[in-house]
Amino acid sequence: MSGNYYDLDDILADGEKIPCRFNITVPGLGYLEGNPGKAINKDSKIELPLWLAEILAVCVNLDESGSSFIDLPEPEFLGTKVKNAIKTSPTSVDLHKLLPNYYRLVEKWCTMVPEPELIDIVMTMLKERSFEISNFAGNANKQINNEFIYTLDEFEKQLFKMTSESNKHMRKWLRD
Amino acid sequence: MVLPSHLQHNLMPSEINFVAENELITILPRYSMNKIELIGHKIPALRAMRREKVPIWVAVILKSQDKCSIVPPKWLNLAYLKDKYEEEIRKPQVFSELPWNWLEISKVLLAKAADDLSDPSHQLRSVLQDLREIRLVKSHKGLRELNESNIQLNGLSLLEINELRPFVLTVMNKLRQLHDTTTTRGAVEAGEGDDMDDEDNYDDEDD
Repeated sequence: MSGNYYDLDDILADGEKIPCRFNITVPGLGYLEGNPGKAINKDSKIELPLWLAEILAVCVNLDESGSSFIDLPEPEFLGTKVKNAIKTSPTSVDLHKLLPNYYRLVEKWCTMVPEPELIDIVMTMLKERSFEISNFAGNANKQINNEFIYTLDEFEKQLFKMTSESNKHMRKWLRD
Repeated sequence: MVLPSHLQHNLMPSEINFVAENELITILPRYSMNKIELIGHKIPALRAMRREKVPIWVAVILKSQDKCSIVPPKWLNLAYLKDKYEEEIRKPQVFSELPWNWLEISKVLLAKAADDLSDPSHQLRSVLQDLREIRLVKSHKGLRELNESNIQLNGLSLLEINELRPFVLTVMNKLRQLHDTTTTRGAVEAGEGDDMDDEDNYDDEDD
């Protein structure tokens, strides 16, 4: 994992909830579902933060035949619908609304579940969108009132900020 | 950690300008001066009307006191730069060869020693601006071709690379991180399909 221990965005991304399905009945865990004191039943679906789901999905239950505690169905933000939206037009997807830390989440997810096809799509999207970002960062002295800027995810915002900063320094140096 | 973020990973244009001012340039002194031994450079003894090479910052100081005239570098004239501009237009895929610090040096000389240049400074300025703009458009077009493994920057000067660096590095890093997820785990599964199967296989590999 690339995440830095002190990286706030990384921590936030780890707290993102993803859907999980329990493979076994766990006594006393009912409070996760909202009925404290009871057991959590086999096959119940529940949303857990990524850091917890990751451990539970990777750890193997020793008693049974190698199945893990929980299964991870595909979360909505990686679903076919989103993939198709990205494929059709990478620059018009509202990433920020989808997930504020989309790239990180994809990265974390794909480290758990390798999905070359998804990575391909996301990489193409990143290329397209970053090109667009550099376009916008190039003329930052004018007012930006474009929808696109509001759809950037946290990583892209950072990128936009850095790029326009660098362009600003350059323009300033050329001027004086 | 204490430095502001824009100073941490990149040089400021002014810092690059500072570095470029250490380059040697030929001057034609009007007065004599003993040699000076500095830590970095030795400034040779200057005798009136004898050409010597000194760092640009020294040349600029002497020039400002009217103690020398600067001999412009051989690329800083209209004919040469126009030629380069034509070359940029002829070869849309390539950057033409220019000194690694052409932007900085031309800026310093135009500001401090405009009367020593062989061509009128407004014409020089305009052709330099044209050059910069056409190269900017080219490098910008090149950003479309970013990938996770390599980038080719032939012919770009230090300042131009420096300008691109924050953007290119961030994007390439992210691409690499995304790409790494497909290679580290040996992506055997077709991805798609049944997630439960994926999960099981993954556990097996891990054991």
